[in-house]
This record gives sequence, C-alpha cells and structure tokens, in this order.
Amino acid sequence: MTYAVSEIRAAGRPRKQRLSRAAIEPWLYLSPAIVLLVVVLLVPLIIGISYSFRKFSAFKSEYVGLGQYQAMLSDAVLGQALVNTLWWTVASLFFQFFLGLALALLLDKPFHGRKVVQAVVFLPWAVPSFLSGLTWAWLFNPIIGPLPHWLFALGLKAEPTNVLSDPATAMWGPIVANIWFGIPFFAITLLAALKSIPSELHEAAAIDGASPWQRFTKVTLPFLAPTIVITVMLRTIWIATFADLIFVMTEGGPAGSTSTVPVYIYVSAFKSLDKGYASAVAVLLLVLLIAYAIGLIAIRRTLVRHV
Amino acid sequence: MASVTLQHVEKDYGSLRILHGVDLEIADGEFVVLVGPSGCGKSTLLRMIAGLEEVTGGEIRIGERLVNDVAPKDRDIAMVFQSYALYPHMDVSSNMGFSLMLKKAEKTTIDGRVGAAAKRLGLDSYLGRLPRQLSGGQRQRVAMGRAIVRDPKVFLFDEPLSNLDAKLRVHMRAEIKALHQQLKTTSVYVTHDQVEAMTMADRIVVMHDGYVQQVGHPLELYDRPVNTFVAGFIGSPGMNFLPAKVAKGGKVDAVLADGQKLRLPDGLPLSDGDALTIGLRPEHIRLADDGALKAEVEVVEPLGLSTQFYVRLANQQICVFVMGRSDVKPGDIIHLAADPTSLHLFDPAAGSRIG
Repeated sequence: MTYAVSEIRAAGRPRKQRLSRAAIEPWLYLSPAIVLLVVVLLVPLIIGISYSFRKFSAFKSEYVGLGQYQAMLSDAVLGQALVNTLWWTVASLFFQFFLGLALALLLDKPFHGRKVVQAVVFLPWAVPSFLSGLTWAWLFNPIIGPLPHWLFALGLKAEPTNVLSDPATAMWGPIVANIWFGIPFFAITLLAALKSIPSELHEAAAIDGASPWQRFTKVTLPFLAPTIVITVMLRTIWIATFADLIFVMTEGGPAGSTSTVPVYIYVSAFKSLDKGYASAVAVLLLVLLIAYAIGLIAIRRTLVRHV
Repeated sequence: MASVTLQHVEKDYGSLRILHGVDLEIADGEFVVLVGPSGCGKSTLLRMIAGLEEVTGGEIRIGERLVNDVAPKDRDIAMVFQSYALYPHMDVSSNMGFSLMLKKAEKTTIDGRVGAAAKRLGLDSYLGRLPRQLSGGQRQRVAMGRAIVRDPKVFLFDEPLSNLDAKLRVHMRAEIKALHQQLKTTSVYVTHDQVEAMTMADRIVVMHDGYVQQVGHPLELYDRPVNTFVAGFIGSPGMNFLPAKVAKGGKVDAVLADGQKLRLPDGLPLSDGDALTIGLRPEHIRLADDGALKAEVEVVEPLGLSTQFYVRLANQQICVFVMGRSDVKPGDIIHLAADPTSLHLFDPAAGSRIG
C-alpha cells in the first residue's frame, strides 16, 4: 500500500502519547507481584544490612558506621569460623556428591526390588534435621552409641571416646551426619537427569565402539553436567548456611573447633546479644556466597551452550 | 561387505515369545526391508542383528562369522536409529567421527573420511553445527553420515524416516536408495510403511506376530501374496476380500454372499461347495456396461489422475480404482467386471493361497 507523507506524519503524532501509556501499562499489571517481592525479599534484606551499621545493647542501638566491619578484621574467632565453614562445606559436598552420583547410577540400573530401595534411600531427606542431629550425636556417644566401639575395634581410634569431644576430630561428626542427610538430594536430582538420557544414545555409542567407561564420560557426563553445576551450587549455599546439625551436635564446640560462620552468627546474635555484629558477619557470608554463585553460573553457561 | 544369515532365530521376553524361528539369507550387497505392523518383531530382529538384544535361540552370522555373542562394536555394523540418536553436545563432525575417534584413528584420517561423507550427503557447510541447530532432514543425514564414516559391512536402519514429514520422507527415501546403489553395502531396513518397502527393497520380508509371512521381490509379493495377511498388507489402496462359495457348472464360478456370480480361473483344485476368500485388487476391477456384478456407489474420491470408488458389493464395502475421471455419483448403481486371472483365491480358514 502507499500513503502520502502527510498521512504518515498525522498518524505518528497521537502514537507518541499512546507509547508512554503503553510503557507504563505492563508495569501496572506486574505491580502486585513487584510489591510483594519488594516487601518480602528486599525490605528484610535492606533492614538486615542496615543492622550491620549499628551497635545494639540492652535497651538502645546506635549508628556506628563501618565499626562492626572494622571489628571483624581483628576477630580471630571469625577467621577460625571461616576456615571451619570452608572445611565443613567442601568435605560435606564432596562426599554427598560422589556418593549421591554413585547411588543414582546404581538406582538407574534395573534390579529386583528397586522401587523399595529407592524409597528407603530417600528417607534421610525426610527426617527433620534436629532429629538426625540428635541421633548422630547419640551414635557418636560411647555410652549409648556403637560407633566409637566400632572405630576402636577397627583400630581407627586408640580408645572408644567421643569423636565430638576432641577438637581435632569434632568436625567429622556433623560432616558425617550431613553426608548421610544430603546424599538423597544428589541421588534424586541426578537420577532424574540420568532418566532423561535417551537409551538410544547409549546404544549408538555402544555400536560406535565406546567402552562402558567411555559411554559414561562421553555421553552420560555431558548430559549431567548442567544438572551437576546447578545442584552443586544450590547445595554449597545450603550447606554453608546450614547450622542445625552442628548446633544440635556440638554447639560449635569444643573450643570453637566446629564453629562455622552461621553458628557464629547465631551465637553473636542470641548469646552475645550483638545483633549488629551478627548482621555484619551475615553480610560477609552473603557476599562470599553471591561471588561463588556468580562464578558457578558463568561455568554453567559455557556447559549449557553444548546441550 | 558381507552377507547376513539368520538360522531359526528366536527371541523370548520372559515367557512371551516375540520371534518364532526366523530363517533368512541376506546376500552380500542386498537391500532387504523388514516390514510389518507394529509389534510384529521386525525391530527386535534388527536389534538382534545389531547385538543390542540377546539371542534366545538360533544363530546369526555376518559373513561366515557367528555373532550371537559378539559385542555390537565388534560386529562391524552401523545403525541409523528412528530418533537419529545424535550426541547433542557434539557438533556434526564430532558426531560423524566419534567411532573413528574411539578407535584412535589419526586426525587426518578422521577429517578425510568425515569430509568425504559430509560431501556425499551435502553436509559440508554444517560440520561445525550442533544437532539442535539442524532441521529434521539434516539430522537424518548426519545419522546416515555417522554410519557411512565407519565403512561397515552391514547398514541397519530402524524406521529412519518415521520422524520426517511426508514430503521429506519421499525425498530421503530416494536418497537412501541412491546411496545404496553407490556404496553397495548390505542393508537391512525396518519400516511399517509398505510404500517405503516397495520402493526401496531388493527383497521384502513381511512379518506378522513374530513369524515371517513371505520373502520376495516387491512385485512378487504384490502379484502372488502367499496369504491374506501379505495380500492385505502390500498395496495401497489395499486388496478387497470377498467371501464366496464355489459353484461348478460348465465353468467354475464363485457365488458371493448376495448370490451374484464371479467367474473363476480354470485348473484350480476346487470342488463344488468349497468356501473361498476372493482377493481383488482395486485396480483390477473394471467399470463395465453390463458386467456380472452390480454394486451401489457410496463414496467417490476424485484424485485428478485417477478416481477411487467405494461401492457396496455383496453387503461389503470394496474399493475400485480406475484411471481418469468419472461422472458416477454416490447412489448410482454400477456394473463391475474382473478378469478371472487377476483374482487371488485364499482358503478362508487358513488364509493361505489357493493355486
């Protein structure tokens, strides 16, 4: 069709007004969700961060600027807690992931009674963390639990004492409990990812001459990679901020040997009653985890490109 | 290249028998199509040749070698799957060269063979793409390329064209056939589509319920089907079947359900009163001015080149196929005639061919 130039100009003018209305309109439709997100997510976050610039005592609080952050720099206990957090997270994650992957691969193979085994394997996930913490604390207790005696019988310990009461070994208690607690998560998610691999791909690889190990590394792993990255990221954040098991089993002791950052935050806020300092430490943990997540998402992006 | 020999091959799943003793000799360089309805065991048979399913009984040989217990990768075969089974995280050239890479072939060898196969299939400009960046037809070609690169003794195709649209299917059909004529590699091709079977095969193996029904050249199956199953399965539109009884007078006639008579060929072992199933291909029925058979037209399908009628004859709807166009309308009574030599006669109980 053809138009005269003047016609187009005439048609263009009222459109400008309509455009600005059109620009606002979608935001109006979105506003209920946006308001909800701001109120539920952003407001508490901002208030929490604002606490880290204040000092709280019994009946008052005062603004101290970066004072709490300066105090963190010279806090040796915090340094120890950071090291403990790293150790707790890496060890828990490492064993949870590899044992979970092994379990998922086993459960992907057909065998008699697989349904029952699957259900049983996923049980730890359903047990409240306080209950599993208590159970494991008792298992490690030489008076009522069998574990110290088994470790002694295997020659792994000189005498059947409580692992949790020795600062050198105490961290292993919550780590073992956490491994037990977290394997099902990896097993479930990785099993779901394994099930999504078409069987014809494995058959094609078998005909192409791939050995079982090559089929695993060249077909299965590339398929699992995006899932692995995202689950490892989620799990790292959850483990790093997960204080229940440690608090129930050791309360951060003995001598601060199992005190991770979340435990230290809890102790600062509710035992030392220094909410400002606790908030500052929490902000530090938040920043560290966001940096970690950004790094991992970047890695995932390169992996997902291929699938 | 090699022949493929199946000797009384059986397959059970638990107590369920899927294949009941299949015997088949596939010559070197031959293109054999296994065809049948779903569940007939054709794919299972192919997967047994590939080594993806265990053999319950009997022997499978590729060339002279017994391969019952040989791993798929050592059978020197290549397979094209219905879903193509391309590795989604590898580009086209890695997909095609994967088997050579696993064999630790030289990079120059791999590149040379992948390049040659890609050129043959018109994939040169797609070598760096991932499977998901390709169209269905291109993926299908990559799957073929992956098979060609291996230079196997036998190609196995498991319904490779089922996921393509009708037009592309016809195109790829011709391409696969042309490829076979160039490479002359022994090929076993599974399909449920009898048109694919007819157009591509040197020989067709018709299967039903785990039994081989008939093996033969496409036109041999069309012209002399051994039973009602093959007769009904091969050909489109399908053969019409009419129950009848033999009436012997001076000449041999068949009496249809409504009493109309149809002349039968001479010299067949028929006696008066025998029950029969008459098979009539739609194109073997003529419109006559005053033939022996009267029928009422129910549906007319004008196709331009030809016309198909569905008419009611002896209380049955049968299909009539005539070339050209026609003024006949639904509701008209028309006269039909058929040459006695064009009739196929079957035993109604066993379904087997008479004569």
